[in-house]
Parts: sequence; structure tokens; C-alpha cells
Amino acid sequence: MEQPVQTETWKARSLEELIRILHQIFAEDKVSVEEVQALMESYESNPEEWLQYAKFDQYRYTRNLVDNGNGKFNLMILCWGEGHGSSIHDHTDSHCFMKILQGNLKETLFEWPEKKGNGEMTKKSERVLRENQCAYINDSIGLHRVENISHTEPAVSLHLYSPPFDTCNTFDQRTGHKHKVTMTFYSQFGERTVC
Amino acid sequence: LPAGLSQWFPALEVLDVSGTGLTEMGTELLSLPCLHTLLAKNNRLGGPGSLPKGLGQAPLARSLRVLNLSGNRFSEVPPALLQLRGLRSLSLGGNRLHGIPPDIQELHSLEFLYLGGNFITAIPPELAKLPSLRYLVLCDNKIQSIPPQLAQLHSLRSLSLHNNLLTYLPREILNLVHLDELSLRGNPLVVRFVRDLTYNPPSLQELAGRTIKTRNVPYAPSDLPESLVRYLSLASNCPNPKCGGVYFDSCVRQIKFVDFCGKYRLPLMHYLCSPECSSPFSSASQSSTSQSESDSEDEASVAAHRMQKVLLG
Repeated sequence: MEQPVQTETWKARSLEELIRILHQIFAEDKVSVEEVQALMESYESNPEEWLQYAKFDQYRYTRNLVDNGNGKFNLMILCWGEGHGSSIHDHTDSHCFMKILQGNLKETLFEWPEKKGNGEMTKKSERVLRENQCAYINDSIGLHRVENISHTEPAVSLHLYSPPFDTCNTFDQRTGHKHKVTMTFYSQFGERTVC
Repeated sequence: LPAGLSQWFPALEVLDVSGTGLTEMGTELLSLPCLHTLLAKNNRLGGPGSLPKGLGQAPLARSLRVLNLSGNRFSEVPPALLQLRGLRSLSLGGNRLHGIPPDIQELHSLEFLYLGGNFITAIPPELAKLPSLRYLVLCDNKIQSIPPQLAQLHSLRSLSLHNNLLTYLPREILNLVHLDELSLRGNPLVVRFVRDLTYNPPSLQELAGRTIKTRNVPYAPSDLPESLVRYLSLASNCPNPKCGGVYFDSCVRQIKFVDFCGKYRLPLMHYLCSPECSSPFSSASQSSTSQSESDSEDEASVAAHRMQKVLLG
């Protein structure tokens, strides 16, 4: 029986430290999902450390790049105004970690639609993620929709994607039809991206 | 609000009293001439007297730009609020509103209106009279239909309608050329062809009215009682371009599916002047194929690339 990958128990005491340890972890050939998830969860959100990346848009949620992980991963902060939500989407064969920095986000998991299917997509489960919790998803687990269901509080989340990707598929809940989209950054490294 | 607030801070521009358990905001507000942003979310406001009397005459009425009253207990939009003429952004999300007053049109500078998470059942057409409205949030309510007049909101860029009770949309929604975001998920949108079978045949008055209009029978106000002159001015044109007819009260409601690139089918409500008129379009069969009627494809192709992004929610 193979030896399991030796995993450390990390504690990131600041966002800067979190990024530093992530670089360390991803420099290795093998990366443990549990290790990364535990690391992300260990960081106690401190708004002073990420406020510069948290740029909100009135009409929809924003993606703000924080670190591009030497090409191994993308770390970004998403800002969700009241009522903002994403479409149902996949993760282009990448790992996706999502940690709540402020507020709450509802995650609804969906089954992949049938190839020949033309009906309503099947909901697997849903949950509300609280501050500092970190969720994980990849394509083999399923698809999800993320939304800020609060009508009074904005939400902020920290996302890590590995390997990085800039296109994914979005799905129509009523039919399962998918559509490829290109994702863009609202800001990068704290600077608003003009496009 | 603490007494003396306006004396200690006469130049106050931004006031945030969110989460303080306030049950009313007193007369101190009336003496803050520079206040442009008032945030009072998550309080216990909603009863009579939540807003002070005389708000319309206070400097606040012209200076206030942003008002956030989300997470309170308002069961109706307080009339005093409608006197805040300078208001650009209003949030009443997460309250207990059952409706929107037609006088909302008084807030003619309004650009941002958040009414998500209430119990609203209908939208007054007067809402469409807000010329600067760019962002309208109506998600998580109990709305059953959208008035076609909403298509007059020429500045609208984002419309949030998810989690309501909509079965169709008015076809006029395609006229919102600046609309970038439209959320429709969580509505029981009709997926099959539906025809309103309870068509009430037109009255004799309507038949006479239709004839006068379609045959261009000349008439002057002196020829007819005022009520009939008014009636004749209310004729609506049948949208069927091959028809050219008009209707008054009696029309056929028909759901027509507009195809967007063969991927999405939006049920749009059409009003046609008679069942015969609808026959070039109606398919008696239940199967909805993309053998869409020609004019719907013209509409659709114009709106299609724009609406694609819009419907992905």
C-alpha cells in the first residue's frame, strides 16, 4: 500500500503568509487537496489585509486577481453585492477552493446534465457557507451555482483555482444546455482592469 | 437619533445608523443640510413615524442621494420617502413590502432601486416613468407578471427578476437595448405552447370601434360623446404585421416562444386582435420546434447576441 502524501497542518496568520505558504505547497509535484483546504480555512479573515482587492460593481459580482501563483494557480477575491449570483458553471478540469472572507454565500450543487438531456437540471444539494469556511469543488464532484442571497449584506470570497483557467461552461438550469464563456478580471493586483 | 446631532455635526454628509435597533428616525434629520448618504439597514423601522414629518420641506429632500433601509420592517413604502426628490439610490431589500406605490415615479432622479426579498405581487406601470433607472432589483418576491410599460425604462442596464412567479414576459422586453444583465432563474416560466382559451368575443362597441379605426372613418369630437372619443383613442395595434387591425379590450393572449440561437426559449406574451389573426403563428401541436415564426426570428436575432449573456443565469 502506498504511503499517503505527508501533509502538514498549516496556520496562515495573515493573507501574505497564506500566499507564501501556497507558493511553497504548489512548488511541489504533488499537492494535497485537504492540505490546501485546511490552510485556506486556517486564515482568519482580516479585512485590512484584503480591502484593496475588494472592488465591488453595482450590477454583478466581480473577480479581482490577487496572485497568479507562478502559473500554478490563480488566487482571486470575488465581491458579491446584495442579490448577486453566478450562473451554474463547471471548472474546466481544475481544482477550485472557495473561502468566505465576509458575509455568507449559498452554494447549490448540480449533477452534470445528460448528454442527450433536455430537461431541468438536477439539484444535488445546497448549503450556506459562513465566514472563514472553505469549500472545494472540481468537475468530478459536479457543477455549482454560488450566490449572495442576502438583501442587506455584501459578501467577499477568496478563490484558488489550480491550474488557472479563463474559460468555463455555464449551464441553463431549465434545459442543461451549456455555453462556453471567457472570464475576465475586474481588477488585478489591486488595480482596476480597463477593457 | 441622538438629540443635538445636527448641532454637533452640521456638515454631516454620511450617516450610518445600521444595526442600532432604531424604531424611528427623528426630527434631527431635518436639520442636516449636507447629508447625501443615509444608511439605516437592519433596524426596526417600519411603523408610522419611522420617518419624520416635514421631510419634503427639509434640505434633505434635495440633498439626499443614497438611502438604504434594507432589513427593516416596512410593509409599505412610506409616503414621506417619495418626497426625497434628489434620491439616486434606494434600497428597501428584505422588508415586508406587498406592493410598490405608483407615486414611486416622483423619485425622478432614481438610478438604483433595490426591492429584493419582499412580498411584492405586482409592479405598477408608473415605475417605468423613472427615466434614469439603471439597476432594478425585484428578485425574491411574488411577482406574477411584468407590465409591458417597463420596456420604457430606456436606461435600464440590469434587471433582477429571479425567484418570482413569472410564467412569461412581455415581448416588449426586447426593446430594452441597454440591458446587459437579466436574471430569470427560479420562475415557473412556461415551457410549452400555451394559448389562452378564454377569449371573450368583442362587444358591439368594440366591433364598431375597430371598424372606425381600420377603415379610417373620419370623426370629430363634435360627432361623438366624449366617452367614445376617449375610447377610440385607446386602440392598440395588433402586433401581427400582416394584420393591421386594432383591438380595444378584447384580445387573444398568446405565449410565443422566442428562440435565442437555438439554445434558450423565452416565453413572451403577445396580444393579438383575434384568434384568426393568430393562426399564421400558432402551431396547434404541443411540440415546440425551432421552426419559429418568421417575425419572431427577426426580433430574436436582433436581441439574441445581447440577451445571450443575459439569460445565462
